[in-house]
Amino acid sequence: MLRFIIRRLLITIPTILVVITLTWGLVRLAPGNFYSTEKAIPRQIREKIKERYGWDKPLYVQYAKTIWPIVRHLDFGISLKYQGQPVSSIIARSVPVSAAIGLLAYVLALLVGVTFGSIAALKQNSKWDYGSMAMAMLGISIPNFVVGPLLVLVFSLTLYWLPPARWNGLWSANVILPVLTLSAIYMAYIARLTRAGMLEVLRSDYIRTARSKGLRERDVVIRHALRAGIMPVVSFTGPALAFLLTGTVVVEKIFALPGLGNYFIQAALNRDEPLIIGIVAFIAITLLLMNLLVDIAYAYLDPRIRY
Amino acid sequence: MFKLTPSEIAIGLLLTAILLTSIACSAAARNEEFFGKTEPPKTNVLRYVTGDEPESLDPQLSSGQPEARIFMALYEGLVEYDAKTMDPVPAIAERWDENNDSSEFVFHLRHNARWSNGDSISARDFVYSFRRGVSPELLSRSASLAFYIRNAENYNQGAVFVLDPKTNQFLLARDFASQTSSSVVPLSESPLQSGTQEYKPTAAESTPDKETPFHQLMHSPERLTLPGDEKARNAILAKNPTIQGAVKDKTFVKVQAEDIGVEAIDDYTVRISLRQSTPFFVELLANQFFRLVPQKVVDRWGREWTNPAHIVTNGPFKMKSWRPYNEVEVERDPMYWDTANVGLDGIRFFPMSDQPTMMNLYRVGEVDAVQNHAIISAWIDAVRYKKDYMDAPEAAVIYIVMNTTKPPMNDIRVRRAFDLALDKETARKWRKIVKPLKGITPEGIFAGYPEPKTGSFDPAKARQLLTEAGYPVLDKGNGNFSCPSFPVGQVEYIYPTAPSNKITAEFWQAQWKQNLGVTVQLRSMEFKTFIDFRSRLEYKGFAFGGWSADYMDPFTFLGLFYTPENDNNTGWWDKHYVELLDEANRTPDRAKRYALLGQAEQLMMDAQPIIPIETAMVNWTKKPYVKGMYPNAGSLFPWKQVYIERDRGKWDYGTPSLAANNAGQMLISTPGN
Repeated sequence: MLRFIIRRLLITIPTILVVITLTWGLVRLAPGNFYSTEKAIPRQIREKIKERYGWDKPLYVQYAKTIWPIVRHLDFGISLKYQGQPVSSIIARSVPVSAAIGLLAYVLALLVGVTFGSIAALKQNSKWDYGSMAMAMLGISIPNFVVGPLLVLVFSLTLYWLPPARWNGLWSANVILPVLTLSAIYMAYIARLTRAGMLEVLRSDYIRTARSKGLRERDVVIRHALRAGIMPVVSFTGPALAFLLTGTVVVEKIFALPGLGNYFIQAALNRDEPLIIGIVAFIAITLLLMNLLVDIAYAYLDPRIRY
Repeated sequence: MFKLTPSEIAIGLLLTAILLTSIACSAAARNEEFFGKTEPPKTNVLRYVTGDEPESLDPQLSSGQPEARIFMALYEGLVEYDAKTMDPVPAIAERWDENNDSSEFVFHLRHNARWSNGDSISARDFVYSFRRGVSPELLSRSASLAFYIRNAENYNQGAVFVLDPKTNQFLLARDFASQTSSSVVPLSESPLQSGTQEYKPTAAESTPDKETPFHQLMHSPERLTLPGDEKARNAILAKNPTIQGAVKDKTFVKVQAEDIGVEAIDDYTVRISLRQSTPFFVELLANQFFRLVPQKVVDRWGREWTNPAHIVTNGPFKMKSWRPYNEVEVERDPMYWDTANVGLDGIRFFPMSDQPTMMNLYRVGEVDAVQNHAIISAWIDAVRYKKDYMDAPEAAVIYIVMNTTKPPMNDIRVRRAFDLALDKETARKWRKIVKPLKGITPEGIFAGYPEPKTGSFDPAKARQLLTEAGYPVLDKGNGNFSCPSFPVGQVEYIYPTAPSNKITAEFWQAQWKQNLGVTVQLRSMEFKTFIDFRSRLEYKGFAFGGWSADYMDPFTFLGLFYTPENDNNTGWWDKHYVELLDEANRTPDRAKRYALLGQAEQLMMDAQPIIPIETAMVNWTKKPYVKGMYPNAGSLFPWKQVYIERDRGKWDYGTPSLAANNAGQMLISTPGN
């Protein structure tokens, strides 16, 4: 197990370097640059800016200048747009916001999704089943840029119960609408995955055995069926959590949250190279770590899997 | 127990959703006087949405409008914008003198101005701030605003003077000027003259200010400058044998901060010498770039000086806290010289980029006012008849640029035909909140400025012009036309991706199709891609164009066509145009100057590198209890005049008037204008 983890972690390093290199290349290929602005910056000043950032040097020198500080001490440099702010501090202060919203949304999605998915599977073809699956269908098919404004319309603009946007810390009513919006689609996916997984497991031999042993139905469902039935949910959790933790552009924009997703989209639009590379690297690392965690969780949940 | 099929459940849910939506919509459409709640906040703190996250809190580094509004709370300069007209009004400078050809200015500072740490503000603070602004180390993208100051550009670009070590004299530019150039030497570069030739005596000051050796130096002829970079310098020398011969055995002396034309005559007098006549220089000085930065703090903390823990400011408000992408909070500064007249205890600036989000916050009463253009076009009708909607012209224009370097748009008849074929009047009615535009300067902003005479919608003339240019337009009957010989493959209309740009583009496309029989392809591009593509003149035919004022003078628009470097993205440049502008700027009389500027604009429009589309209107809301905030042409607000009125009788019911001396009068917005 330990060897497996170490090997996976070691593979992570070259992967991240490849991701960074690709990102760097893509930013370079993108038309326009940081100083393409509506009000043209005079040519002489543009030339000086190029000199300052070394953009007048050959490409391999520029690449080396980008990659070397990252390799040596994880230094992603300073944002071009947010002048004077190191990329690392921008990430450090925006990730907690994204992660808090994302984690809350996922916990909610898990609670609701697994509950309704299991009920649907246990009472297959009942109105419970149809009801929760219809809800799930809606949740999957309505994008969050519709769910969000709809929730705002009802709960903020009509009922005046909840604030429509802005971040006021984790323990404020401002959190409720973004968390609901964000969790809707995950809730729906999880409900469907749970239902499918449970249906398969409930028909299997060992469940019949468990029932025939005379176990209480509650024990059969929770101790035996659910543990195997939510395996699809577990493998879904890795990438889902990685995306949720690193911020979601739409929800952060609609609710004006100071999260990573907001910075990510702005960085791309501004051609803020150091910030783009920093955020992409961070997301890649998170994604790889989450997948590793999922693999470990597999081994724990499924006795048949051993590394 | 009844049983529902999945589809029945789905339909039921959908109906519920529609029902909820319609409840909400009907609530919105209710005939309310204002857009949303009008409960004043409990404290005298204004909550304002200023737009995107500030790039930086250093006024000399960030040039954007969202930042400008924060800087107007935190920093002050020699002058401030007037709340209604945006003309420069005294700030730290109590008064100023302008020399007879607007090439030199003397500012007299108030004696009681202080930094937020209690230090008093003197003329040396201005000398420091101006030098820092244009220093090559700071590398400010706005530095060119200050290039009117003598040697500022040379210093910024790291240029060198040429010193003759034998005579200890600098080589002069005029000795190498080409014979043909007939430039007029401004007074600031002419030998000092006595009495009224230099400055007209004023009531406040009958005699000119103290002479200094620096002033003498400023009034000497312009020195020859060459690039500091050896490669660039040698390239120039290789092209110019006269200079190459002259600089042999000479020493190159780098242009220093001390060489720029800003001088502290004494503790409270600043003299600024310019390299040319600049009648709009004082207007320019209200820009954020010219506000004071604290030398002590910048020297100590470097780039970190704007950190809330270190920052020292000099505006009506000082920094309280900064949570990036969430809030910049400022509070009243008791050290500010005019703090008794500051109406608010603080301002909370909320950065955000989604317009519906801004308006939602406004509607539920979580913010008191929003940035300009916060209302998307789909919402306009729901908001613009409310009494908290701000209805006033803006110093911003929208136009279409044409690539005059490529056929078929290199033919002026074709360019004119495409202009005359657009029914802009109908477009304006449909766009609802815009005003006409005749050239490049916005309508209704600069009083007394003569608008150019350009053609109005005339499809028959347009077809005739296109036919004359060699692309005959055929009448297919029923009001349909076709122009088979027009090379449609060589033109397209490009615009930055945005829903509002798309619908207007489609409108123009339909107009050209209907009136000329030409189908121009449309292409939307990501913003920076578009900017780059347009400025390289790679586009074929037409591209979206827009401009907003940097300072309140027509030159901020006309100057777009001043340099041959294609700041205007059309490839058009004319020497006569530049000469007219230069002459205008040497003319002290405002009416005569405007007439000359108008002539230049007419000359430009006769060549038709652009199709004027519309003058923008401001488009934002403020709660009726927010007083002292006016929908001025630049959407920049001197915050110290803003206050929260708790007496309903004194609220603003309608757009407050922008006329100078009738603060009480209201301009009720009327539908349809």
